[in-house]
Amino acid sequence: METMVVKITQIILSPILALVVGVFFLGLARKIMARIHWRYGPPLIQPVIDMIRLFYQKSVSHGRMFDLGIIISLAGSIVVILFLPFGRICPLSSSGGLLVILYMMLLAPLGIALSAGQGANPNISIGISRKLILSLGYEVPLLLVLLAVMTRYKTISIMEVVSAQQSTGWALFSWPLFLSGLSYFLILPAILGIRPFDVSSAPQEISSGTMVEYGGKYLALATIEHAFILFISIALFVNLFLAGATNPIIFFAKMLVVFVLGLFIHAVFPRFRIEQAIKYLWKWPTLLAFVGLIITLMIK
Amino acid sequence: MSLQILLTVAFGGALVTYLLGKTSAKVRNFLAVAISLVLVVFVAYLYGKPLEKTFYLGFFGLGLVLRLNMFSWFFAITIAVVGTLSIIFSLSYIRAREKTDFYFLMMLLVNAAMLGIVLAGDLVSFYIFWEIMSWSAFLLISYNRGPALAAGMKYIIMSVIGSLCFLVGMLSLYVSFDTLNISQIASAITSASSGYILFILTSFGIAFGIKNAVLPFHTWLPDAHSEAPAPFSAVLSGVLIKMGTYGFLLILYVIVGLKLFLGLGSSIFSFHSVLCLLGAITILIPTFIAMLQTDAKRLLAWSTVGQAGYIILGIAFGTNLALAGGIFHFFNHSLFKALLFLAVGAVEFRTQTRDLDSLGGLAKKMPVVFIATLVGICALIGVPLTSGFVSKWLIYKSLILEGSPFLAFFALVGTWGTILYSYKLIHNVFLGQLPEKYKDIQKSPFSMQLPMIVLSLAILVFGILPGIPLKVINAIGISFGFESLNVTLWGIASETGTLNTINIFSTVLVAAVLLWLLFRLGAKSVSIPQEDSYAAGAHTPADKYHYTVEFYNPLHRMIKPFLRDVIDEFYYWIAASVRSLASSVKRIYSGDVGYYVMYIVLFLSLLIFAQMKWKLW
Repeated sequence: METMVVKITQIILSPILALVVGVFFLGLARKIMARIHWRYGPPLIQPVIDMIRLFYQKSVSHGRMFDLGIIISLAGSIVVILFLPFGRICPLSSSGGLLVILYMMLLAPLGIALSAGQGANPNISIGISRKLILSLGYEVPLLLVLLAVMTRYKTISIMEVVSAQQSTGWALFSWPLFLSGLSYFLILPAILGIRPFDVSSAPQEISSGTMVEYGGKYLALATIEHAFILFISIALFVNLFLAGATNPIIFFAKMLVVFVLGLFIHAVFPRFRIEQAIKYLWKWPTLLAFVGLIITLMIK
Repeated sequence: MSLQILLTVAFGGALVTYLLGKTSAKVRNFLAVAISLVLVVFVAYLYGKPLEKTFYLGFFGLGLVLRLNMFSWFFAITIAVVGTLSIIFSLSYIRAREKTDFYFLMMLLVNAAMLGIVLAGDLVSFYIFWEIMSWSAFLLISYNRGPALAAGMKYIIMSVIGSLCFLVGMLSLYVSFDTLNISQIASAITSASSGYILFILTSFGIAFGIKNAVLPFHTWLPDAHSEAPAPFSAVLSGVLIKMGTYGFLLILYVIVGLKLFLGLGSSIFSFHSVLCLLGAITILIPTFIAMLQTDAKRLLAWSTVGQAGYIILGIAFGTNLALAGGIFHFFNHSLFKALLFLAVGAVEFRTQTRDLDSLGGLAKKMPVVFIATLVGICALIGVPLTSGFVSKWLIYKSLILEGSPFLAFFALVGTWGTILYSYKLIHNVFLGQLPEKYKDIQKSPFSMQLPMIVLSLAILVFGILPGIPLKVINAIGISFGFESLNVTLWGIASETGTLNTINIFSTVLVAAVLLWLLFRLGAKSVSIPQEDSYAAGAHTPADKYHYTVEFYNPLHRMIKPFLRDVIDEFYYWIAASVRSLASSVKRIYSGDVGYYVMYIVLFLSLLIFAQMKWKLW
């Protein structure tokens, strides 16, 4: 009975924690970017203020799928968060492992794509098309990386990957997986959709692409979704390569370091064109991940 | 006895339907649906009743045998269900066309023949039903005339080549073992040499590979699937090509057997790993080709080739998990690909086109078809909570844990490619802008909606409770000599990773409901027409910006040069050379008697010359 209560508390608390961390990252990103640009920047809680304001503002809807898609997307993200261990907490560890995470991560972009797709705006079509092409671009190295990790630790459970690292040391600094970890870090901006890979949301070019028809509560929910994606992609990296953590504080500290490193790249690089992005993603990160997987296979 | 009755009903029903169609179309429609429903009930009733019966002895001393076990039952029920649904769909789809009697005759005949194939207990009856299926499928593919004739011709030529390979294998088995009864061959073949088994596997493999559209034998499929009438495309993609899958399972696991199959050859050069590799390539390349298609049915056809690759990969990999995944994926593919072909057919029925560049925005006009398509593509991608997820999960897990990450990589990249083309399908047909000319389009008739609703529900139910089909599949695996899987109603439990779909389902459901409440709490949104969208202050005129055209243009430009269908070009080159050879031979046979006299004289003089010179006789 007691374990049930603990479990349920964890299930309720972990999405909220993820939301807090993700939104904090959004605020921090604006602050750090401003400082790099020699501006003062908005306060850290600006995203929260924006979200509350947006929630009470009027908005337009283009149909049922327009409403439902964004809910599907958020629900998918919440489920992924329940599968991701942070610290020792993993509410739903035993329901399918890394493969389920991989697949549930699909629901987020798919939901947004379905929702935005009903918006009937040319900018949206371009944005989605770019987003899907980009995701095909980064999935190729990402899958090689994940396969290398799963082959190395002979498991598909992310909990076991984490606990194996806690006894044998970080995967990022173990020999064959170093290459995979590096490859993951190289594609992290693409997964997060930040510069130089912000082709699908390019504000100056296609009016933020998929976001163009969102206003009011839709935009608020889309921001929450963005915060979740930020949390998931970085948490996955921390779990797979930085040995997770034994308590949430250290876990978030590790996430912060990874995120700030990513931001520095974001702050100084201009945007790729979509073809350039694919060419880059299918060249160096894929090569690194490929070599990493081959060496992992040979060492085994 | 009951198996004979089943086939009599199936074949006899087809003929009676045809004859009654001459008097009244209503009676014919009713009878066609009734017969296919009776077959579903009949097959369902036979669940778990193993039967084997020789029904005819006089075929050159060979017994013709019918048999039923879990393996053939699972295929039989899929055939019966998909067949029934597509016949119900046909009722309004085919109404305004010519030769409807003939159409229904052929549909029922194909179903009956496929039932015959899976119930056949010896290779002779297998072959007879196989040929009936191939030829009636040919007639249905060519039903639309025009380009469909060429597609049908391509199909039947490849089919005949497959049949010849089958015949070679079958005759060789008969010469070696003096029997064609499947279970007798299975017990006799254990003493055969490995070279002989390789020969048998290759000849049957080509026959079944052509039907199952494994690379490099896939070239007939895209043409045939896109040109056939939509309900038949559903049958073609859903179950007819799966007769190749059935054949593969039959030859690999029933006749040759697990041990011999896995022990054939060494390491990379073993038959098993070559087949796995073929499966993996069959997943990868067609998936990328599918992204570039602009014809909805052609896109789905290429997707069929790709998905067949998963099935072959699962079957050929030869572990209990992968086999279960492969067979389960066959079942899922039958459901969701039939669903998608029917949905595209329903759209084509109303709009008279399946060109992805000119459709759009139909979601509000045809909500049921839209939701059906959504469920279909979710299953195709393998989104959790649809049945497609479970089967792919089983395959991936097995590939990763057995140390074949590169095969898993092919399969996973194939899935991510699948997202691209399935989103293109749903976006270009149902989302985006609604063109002016489709403003007043009607909903689909109920007889079209019903099969789609049934299939969508089945996909969701088997996605949340995968244990129902997995129980049967597990029994099939055990009969092939694999270890039993620990199947529960909502997934698979094992030491190396448990799948629990009910957990996922309940969390998604709770999360979605809470989010919906949150969504309702916010300020109300106003519904606006599609023209009223943001365009930086400018007015967006209707029908001017249609961004579904060349949806993946950047990617298209990048990968197009790598995706020439070289194999198809090669086959066409062979066909062209044979034709030119034939026409040069024809020049000798000019039809002029004078020439023939000259040939005779020349030949005689050659003989005389040879005799005088070398004294041959």
